[in-house]
Amino acid sequence: MTERVDKSMGTVAATLDYDAELMIRVKAGDDASFGLLLEKHRSPVIHFLYRMVQNRAVAEELAQEVFLRVYRSRSTYEPTAKFTTWLFRIATHLALNSLRDGKNQRSEARLDNESAEAPARQVSDGRPSVEQVMVYQTRLEEVRQAVAGLPDKQRAAVLMHKYQEMEYSQIAKVLNCSESAVKSLLFRAYETLRARLAHMA
Amino acid sequence: MNCPIEKSAELLAFSTGRLTPPEAAKLEPHVESCPVCRKFVENQRAVWRALDVWEAPPVTADFDRRLFQCIEQSESWHDRWIRPLRLLLVRQGLPIAATACLIVVAGLVSQRPAEVAVPRPTQAAVETLQPDQVDHVLDDLQMLGEFTSTARSDAGEL
Repeated sequence: MTERVDKSMGTVAATLDYDAELMIRVKAGDDASFGLLLEKHRSPVIHFLYRMVQNRAVAEELAQEVFLRVYRSRSTYEPTAKFTTWLFRIATHLALNSLRDGKNQRSEARLDNESAEAPARQVSDGRPSVEQVMVYQTRLEEVRQAVAGLPDKQRAAVLMHKYQEMEYSQIAKVLNCSESAVKSLLFRAYETLRARLAHMA
Repeated sequence: MNCPIEKSAELLAFSTGRLTPPEAAKLEPHVESCPVCRKFVENQRAVWRALDVWEAPPVTADFDRRLFQCIEQSESWHDRWIRPLRLLLVRQGLPIAATACLIVVAGLVSQRPAEVAVPRPTQAAVETLQPDQVDHVLDDLQMLGEFTSTARSDAGEL
């Protein structure tokens, strides 16, 4: 994703990713570039937040706040890290705050409603049988409960590692900790998940 | 039974398909021969497949509309006027303010009253006498005393 050296910044050998270049254009007043960033990162951010808080409405509310903060910060934006690192740092911060504040206390009730909706969207090859739907819902419920049972930071690390395919170094920057701390978070998280989900092999 | 590789990031990456083909090929023989690592890989791959089942619901259709509405509301006239000036204030205002402070400080320093020299108190000159001069003074006092007694005795005889 590194496109070119941005000489206008006056930085020495600064190589920006394309998203950072778009954000610099937003800083310069180009709102269309913000639209491009939104188009590209809207779903990943919402999906990450959804898996963190396991409540669709709360996830979208938090995602609105993420992009609002990105837009408001445009005048002071500096590409000191990858754009996605910055973006997910904001998202993780808001998600962790939300979990601490207990805003998703209704997530337990919402899980039942959402898992009932899921099969129609999730199963893509042919019309599923009732049995297949029930098996799918059971498996989905187990996965969601297993992830919900992880400590908040372990959960965030697993979601970024699995679904965003982030490397340890980037997760460390998002969580503002060392790489060894990230490895520890992931190992413990996966150990827990293996204990709960390995029977689904 | 433990294996030193079992807890490694490399084995996790192997389990989740994150190693390059050459790297995976290096680890493959060990995984096939080590029951601990083989079990780890099997279980981790099961977790990976289970997590794949969990797809997030689609984004609501009016997400963007609501976001832009929030942005529009938050961009009050205050922000419309202050944000463009913020950079100007930061880039030029601080140096100007610093210069103004220096000028004020310099003015205050230059207006301090001149110091009045306090006269040093005069010191009495103390004459020191040399030892031979002290002897001369004592001799003069003795002569004066003898002269006085002689003068009295002469006055008595008369």
